[in-house]
Amino acid sequence: MSIVGKERIEVIAQSIGITNLSPDVALSLAPDVEYRLRDIMQESIKCMRHSRRTTLTADDVDSALSLRNVEPIYGFASGGPLRFKRALGHRDLFYIEDKDLDLKDVIEAPLPKAPLDTAVTCHWLAIEGVQPAIPENAPVDVISVPAEAKKNEQKDDNLPVDIKLPVKHVLSRELQLYFDKVTELTLTQSESVLFKEALVSLATDSGLHPLVPYFTCFIADELHQLMPSVVTCLVAKRLGSRLADNHWELRDFTANLVASICKRFGHVYSNLQSRLTKTLVNAFLDPKKALTQHYGAIQGLAALGPNVVRLLLLPNLEPYIRLLEPEMLLEKQRNEVKRHEAWRVYGSLLRAAGQCIYDRLKIFPTFPSSLPHAVLKTNARVLMSSPYKRKASLEQLEEQPPLKKTNTDGEVGVVLTNSSPSHKQGEAGTQASSVDSIIGSSSASEQMKNDTISNAVVRSNKVDTRSWKTSAALAQVWKDELNSGRILVSLFELFGEDILPFIQAPELYMFL
Amino acid sequence: MEEDEIAGYVTAYLKKKGFTQTEKIFQEEFQTNKTNSSPLEPDIAKHILSFSQLESGPARFHDGYSRLRSWTHCSLDLYKHELLRVLYPVFIHCFMDLVAKGHVQEARHFFNTFREDHEMMHLRDLQKLEGVLSPTHLEEMEFAHSLRQSKFNIKICEYSYELLLQHLHSTQSTTILGIINEHINFQVTPGQPSSIVDDPEAVTLSGSSQDAANQINQKEIHWGLLEDSLEERLEKASSLLSDSEKGEGEAKEGETEENKKRPVEGGKQGASIKKVKKDKGGSATGKNTKAEVNTVSAAPRVKPELPMPIIPTEVEQSILEDLRNRVQLSSVALPSVSFYTFLNTHNGLSCSSISHDGSLVAGGFSDSSLKVWDMAKLGEQTASSLSQDENDTSQNPQMGQSGGGKRQYTLFQGHSGPVYAASFSPVGEFILSSSADSTIRLWSTTYNANLVCYKGHNYPVWDVQFSPVGHYFASSSHDRTARIWSMERIQPLRIMAGHLSDVDCVQWHANCNYIATGSSDKTVRLWDVQSGECVRVFVGHRSMILSLAMSPDGRYMASGDEDGTIMMWDLSSGRCLTPLIGHTSCVWSLAFSCEGSVLASGSADCSVKLWDVNTSTKVSRAEEKSGNASRLRSLKTLPTKSTPVYALRFSRRNLLFAAGALAKNG
Repeated sequence: MSIVGKERIEVIAQSIGITNLSPDVALSLAPDVEYRLRDIMQESIKCMRHSRRTTLTADDVDSALSLRNVEPIYGFASGGPLRFKRALGHRDLFYIEDKDLDLKDVIEAPLPKAPLDTAVTCHWLAIEGVQPAIPENAPVDVISVPAEAKKNEQKDDNLPVDIKLPVKHVLSRELQLYFDKVTELTLTQSESVLFKEALVSLATDSGLHPLVPYFTCFIADELHQLMPSVVTCLVAKRLGSRLADNHWELRDFTANLVASICKRFGHVYSNLQSRLTKTLVNAFLDPKKALTQHYGAIQGLAALGPNVVRLLLLPNLEPYIRLLEPEMLLEKQRNEVKRHEAWRVYGSLLRAAGQCIYDRLKIFPTFPSSLPHAVLKTNARVLMSSPYKRKASLEQLEEQPPLKKTNTDGEVGVVLTNSSPSHKQGEAGTQASSVDSIIGSSSASEQMKNDTISNAVVRSNKVDTRSWKTSAALAQVWKDELNSGRILVSLFELFGEDILPFIQAPELYMFL
Repeated sequence: MEEDEIAGYVTAYLKKKGFTQTEKIFQEEFQTNKTNSSPLEPDIAKHILSFSQLESGPARFHDGYSRLRSWTHCSLDLYKHELLRVLYPVFIHCFMDLVAKGHVQEARHFFNTFREDHEMMHLRDLQKLEGVLSPTHLEEMEFAHSLRQSKFNIKICEYSYELLLQHLHSTQSTTILGIINEHINFQVTPGQPSSIVDDPEAVTLSGSSQDAANQINQKEIHWGLLEDSLEERLEKASSLLSDSEKGEGEAKEGETEENKKRPVEGGKQGASIKKVKKDKGGSATGKNTKAEVNTVSAAPRVKPELPMPIIPTEVEQSILEDLRNRVQLSSVALPSVSFYTFLNTHNGLSCSSISHDGSLVAGGFSDSSLKVWDMAKLGEQTASSLSQDENDTSQNPQMGQSGGGKRQYTLFQGHSGPVYAASFSPVGEFILSSSADSTIRLWSTTYNANLVCYKGHNYPVWDVQFSPVGHYFASSSHDRTARIWSMERIQPLRIMAGHLSDVDCVQWHANCNYIATGSSDKTVRLWDVQSGECVRVFVGHRSMILSLAMSPDGRYMASGDEDGTIMMWDLSSGRCLTPLIGHTSCVWSLAFSCEGSVLASGSADCSVKLWDVNTSTKVSRAEEKSGNASRLRSLKTLPTKSTPVYALRFSRRNLLFAAGALAKNG
């Protein structure tokens, strides 16, 4: 408990050059020093309180010292409270950080700005007990919540109190008028100069913050009127008067806008996103529509997130690419513009699919090498999820002849049910053996390919249909991993090496 | 049994005082007496035996205390809480005995072993005592000294007392018995043990001996208002007015002076125009408060004991005008609050004060300066260039720099240490400031100059307050005294000594015959200005007292402390009506509304709270009988935007002004 021990006295004595301090002296000094310290601290706290502060500063200690007729300690004058840092390796040792300063820097530094002079401002904290919602006061929600709590509290007391209802947040008449006018302008004459000025005022006036929730509601209410025109910008056949207009950019921008609208107001409009996706998917699947429209639809869907892409785009990808392919080839499509459009669509598709697969891969943490393997061994159908298992199995693959196929499928199923990406390393061994068995059982026909993993990259693109069958048993357990693997495979098939940039570096490395 | 006890006491006493020789002789004599006359001899022999066994060795304190402690914790539930009260005094005195005898290591060990038991109730005291490590410290430290000098008063029921004595005798804990006899004063009450609820009040009355405090509190005080005050005159005048206006028909009503609202309504034609003009908080409250009984005028009248200064007629007129336009506040009609925020103080603002009409704001700074803002002028400025002001903040300081005289405030320089308090005279032409340089200075706001420097205190002056009528003022200091001064003399008129630690705050009673002082010794005292005597001691706070306020009817006093607790006291009985719990940090300022129905408190937790005074005092009285704990009603909490509230002031029209320095980063 004692703050100042005998040892400290000895250390201090040594530091100021007294070497022959007897232990008795140290022993009797220690408690006295501690008492004096406590005394000084008590007085400094008094000084702090009388300076109307709740943080102790060096000035307070100086005042306390002068109260006790002690010379103040120089060198600690500070405006603010000192910041202590904890010494590394010690739990209760602190020091004040003192940075080294280059004298040159100090000299050359520009003069600091003159500190602002003290000033007094005045505002209404409350008017007849009600706090006006002005920037000088604490935010409204801070006020209203305790009011509720207090009300409950008072109910608990069985004092004869008349409970006052919490005061509703009241808008001033001016603000109400302002709101009405702006909304009216928005709906009726959104072209007028007045409206533009209103927009400027909306963007800059800080006094309007009580209106923010109301404007948000207003926008949400009027959203259904707004959406069609926005969607038009996305999937219209022709945008802009001239052909050369860069409508692609507009479509990209609109796609992001649509997505953010869905995100912001989706909870208010429950069917907003579903209606939107329906429109977009229809546009995408209609082969009669122009390629520009397809482009817009794809961009819109892509912006809504990888899940949408996976569920709505990818299933239709294969037939669509088949349709698209002739348009892209020089021999078949002579029209330069059309071909350009086709390539654009192809690019957007690629991007959407790539982002989707990238996102899928991200789901599994520390997934550095599994998917390339999955691809490499598409034939083998070892769609592993955990890198640990992967490694282990790899090792075993190398050590053991791949002919091992003792385990039955049934056993595999049992073992695998408890396998998940989060399994610990410790279990890797058993996992690995079971995995091995899968390999064994499933890859009976592909042993050769397994052996030649590294140079089989290109060949492995080709899906071995037989392996799909064997994987069906695993599909239940490995659904996600399998899906992503499958997606990747099909994507690779469709896009070739174009998809590679979307896969993380380690996988890429494996490919090349 | 009786004789045994006496013998025990005597021996304990002798031993305590170190009269070993006397003790021996006494025991021998006692023994021979006993052997000759009494059949209790073996008992005595045992006692003596135990004495000699336990004679030395600090372990007996430890053992004795731990035995008492475990026994107490195992005792009957009904009496347990009463017996537990005994533990704390025994604990600290065991500790101090050990220290006094020089067993520092044992004392430490003892203290650490048992401190947890008392931390909840007495943390601050323990922190103080923790540092006591040698007998000389005991002598030096005022707190330990006062503990040694005084006795604890403990209320305990008959049976608990019997149990305790039985236990002590049966275990022969003479050490503990000695301590209990020496330092505890039992107030044995017949019948059932008291309920746990009134614990804080009845248990740990310490400090100056409670007997003395009780005695002091027996004295009579005249808490009534002054005769012939302005308010009284206003009532008379307005009742006359209403009489003349309304004619003889309602003359009866006009005579009932208790209701002040009525005359105002009577003079509707005159007042209605003013009503519109007056402070914005004013409208629409008249009807609600019609039925309310005005406590101010109901208060008894007393004669002033000091010669009163004469108020100039024009000032009187303006005050009367204010009084006429006063807004009636109540639990349903809350005041408007105007907040003055100090910006760019760089942590230097150490006090703030607002004049009675709210037009002047003073700030005392740790750089020894005192700055006064005229809000009326400032208002004009900002009103003319409001839009400008908002956008270009950069322009303002430039203006301040270019024209040095164009500062927004008046700077008063003269102190040589942090300014800890400032106070405006009732009319606002003078301002007093007190500083760490142990002086008080009087400044004139009309000439912007220092008029007088009052030297008298020897240490920093923590607080200074003008009396409600002006001319006189009171100061309080680290030198443990409070002093009364008049403006025209540089020597104090009275010195109030009696507090055991710093006197942190001071406040005048409404009738100017008393002042109240709050101290770091956790008590509030009330002093008679004329005689300089202490007439009340209010015990109950658990930490340093930071703010005081007197109700305008002179009946109640509120005090706020470092922990955020506010206590409402009845001056005549000297008892706490209700503790007001709600603030979480230091209560810097308290203010009663002008008719006394609302109490406002400003705290370091960045909020202003409004409390209902009328219902609370009533409720507590009713509940006193039923024995329930009562809480004063909190009407409203007004949080500020990270601005601790340093000062509060109700204007005469009942508009509440508050001031504080904006604290950056919370």
